[in-house]
Amino acid sequence: MRKVKVVLALSLVSLSLTGCGSYVAAGKPNAADAAHRSAKPYAGQTITVLFPYNAPPRKLLAQFTAQTGIKVNWTVLGFAATWAKIVSASSANTYFADLTDVDWSRVGQYYRTKWFIPLNKYFNVKSLRSDVPQLNDFMVNGQLVGMPIDASLMLTTVNVKDFARAGITRLPTTIAQYTTDLRTLQRKGIHAHPLGISFAAQEGLSTYWYEVTGAFGGSIFGPGYKPLFTSPSSAGYRAMQWMVNAYKSGLVPTSDINMVDYQVQQSQMALHRISSVMSDYSGNVGTLYNVPSQSKVVGQIKYIPTPGIKGIGPNLGNPDGMGIPVTAKHPGAAAVFLKWFTSPQMQADFSGLHGPADEILNFPLPMRLSSMNMLQKANKVTQVNEMIMLFRQHSRPVFPNGGPPPWYPQFSNAVYTNIHSAALGQESVAQAIQAISNTVNQLNH
Amino acid sequence: MQKEAMFRKHSPQDVPVQSRLNKERSAVLPYVLISPLILFIGALALYPTVRTFVESFFGVDPLNPQGFVGLQNYVSVFNNPAVIYSWVNTFLYMAFGTGLSTLVAVLVALGLRVNFRGRAVVLAILILPWALPAITEGIIWAWIYDPSFGVLNSILHSLHLISHYQLWISGNRILTVFLIELVQVWQMTPLSIILILAGLQSIPDELYEAARVDGAGLLRTTFTISLPLVRPSIAVAVVQSLVASLNVFDQVYVLNANATTGSSIMLQTYNITFQNLNFGEGYALSFIAVLITMAIALGLLKITYRRVEF
Repeated sequence: MRKVKVVLALSLVSLSLTGCGSYVAAGKPNAADAAHRSAKPYAGQTITVLFPYNAPPRKLLAQFTAQTGIKVNWTVLGFAATWAKIVSASSANTYFADLTDVDWSRVGQYYRTKWFIPLNKYFNVKSLRSDVPQLNDFMVNGQLVGMPIDASLMLTTVNVKDFARAGITRLPTTIAQYTTDLRTLQRKGIHAHPLGISFAAQEGLSTYWYEVTGAFGGSIFGPGYKPLFTSPSSAGYRAMQWMVNAYKSGLVPTSDINMVDYQVQQSQMALHRISSVMSDYSGNVGTLYNVPSQSKVVGQIKYIPTPGIKGIGPNLGNPDGMGIPVTAKHPGAAAVFLKWFTSPQMQADFSGLHGPADEILNFPLPMRLSSMNMLQKANKVTQVNEMIMLFRQHSRPVFPNGGPPPWYPQFSNAVYTNIHSAALGQESVAQAIQAISNTVNQLNH
Repeated sequence: MQKEAMFRKHSPQDVPVQSRLNKERSAVLPYVLISPLILFIGALALYPTVRTFVESFFGVDPLNPQGFVGLQNYVSVFNNPAVIYSWVNTFLYMAFGTGLSTLVAVLVALGLRVNFRGRAVVLAILILPWALPAITEGIIWAWIYDPSFGVLNSILHSLHLISHYQLWISGNRILTVFLIELVQVWQMTPLSIILILAGLQSIPDELYEAARVDGAGLLRTTFTISLPLVRPSIAVAVVQSLVASLNVFDQVYVLNANATTGSSIMLQTYNITFQNLNFGEGYALSFIAVLITMAIALGLLKITYRRVEF
């Protein structure tokens, strides 16, 4: 009986303790709950990511939500539409997304307009510098306007099978040799027009010119955005002359005059209508040319060092970035997502470290050197070693003397419309150069 | 008391009061019915137009904010050679688009007025281009016009009409504008056909029967009955084609990108506003476009519209 009483008393004590426990949980947070909340301070928030490129695989997004309690609504919108959305919503001071595209070419504009929250308070810029070589492209006066999310760069691609069929045993390392090889491909009947250049009056034509200018051993601007392309002996002038001659002499298909960059890659290079693209995008070999459903040249395309005027030329950076608009509803949660997205492990995963299931379609290259090391060790991604070698040894920003100017879109517009007209013979290269130079001088004042 | 109330209800002196009330109600009713539309147009068309007009006198530019600048934005856009070039192109788009679309629509609608087997299927197929997004149509036609492997070159070459494949878009200004506008005509003509066909079908058959009895043939009935009586519908079709061709953007952007050859005024407005971030000039250009569209639309309505009563 006594035993029974003791059991009953213990049960009552335990019941009352349980009751107390429930009371504490409902009223005041205990230590475990506080820790849980501080680990997930933004749990329950849903962020909208508006971006022109593909989302990470659902599985990985679900893992992020499980880790942080933050839901991600990723909306894909075309580049021009995203830009229009950023401009219209930001100028009207209204919410449109918590995280969106910050292209390297817009960094100067965004710095001036103050449409994005400086990311310095979320990221330690000093410690990132050594691991993220393209970080400077997103910084103006010490302010991190956006965070690079990949390490896209312009690379030369060649169809090695075509080159071999034409009897070319050594791949070109200089622009002169490259031009001769293209003529050989043409002469031997491999392709009537072996070179792809996007001549449509769009951004892709401007970036192609920057890359060829680099190959000719120069830059577009000097300090203070002084044009360096006006003299006929300058790299920029010669680069434009080379591109226009390539079109007029038939090295480039006639249809390229109205084709944007991705059309040249998808409908010409991948469908075996040409043999080389001098300014191709990093990642295209693995995500386009070697994909049997999209390509007729599987296993035939190779990245080569950019043929330069005296040996290997540079590979100019073309990185994509993300930023948090000042009108974001959940900037804290957006920063948590951006940290996750740009973490070394995720960057390697998005590039295919653990196979295609974790890959982001058309993801070029991770923005961190540490992620590149992981990929090199695993050696699972197509030609990753070649890409990383080119990135480490030859990568260079488009505007090494400071980021893109705030008037970059107007400058680029002058570049692509005039090169397009010069290729059609509507104006000479000298006139095109003069028109671009006049635009720079006007904008610089 | 009840009787009195009933009596009062039907009192002859009260009849004018009742009829006045009814009259007042029927006078107010139309305004009530159209008020949602007025609100809709006011909020989405009138208010933005007034706001655009006001803002066009300010230096709205996030890169270089200024206050009131008077007519400076208007002066700038008129002194911009790219804008002038685009205006000329836009008038060409309008002339080709409105003319061709209306002509084709009238001819097809006259053909479809007659009942024939499979008419419903033909109508359904005709509507398709109108239902497709302009971007999709631009991409389809880019393949048709492709200078290396396009269908147009292939057909003309196999018919020996051209000796070698041609570059259709970008090479020649007039040809570029015409071919781009052809894509828009392909898209907007179905709506014009439906509008004109609806007008044709409302013409009483008795008129045609009477004409036939009088010995009028197909050509005569077309020119003396169909076309004069369908003028209000043609006027609406003309205005919708005019507005669409003055606002041409998607087809130009897909087929000719930002090249000056085919540049339209809407493309210029987009570039000035969203690329250069010069909202003030963008507002000025938009407002000029509104004024020009209204002026031409009113002029065309005056020429084509006639009140018709059967």
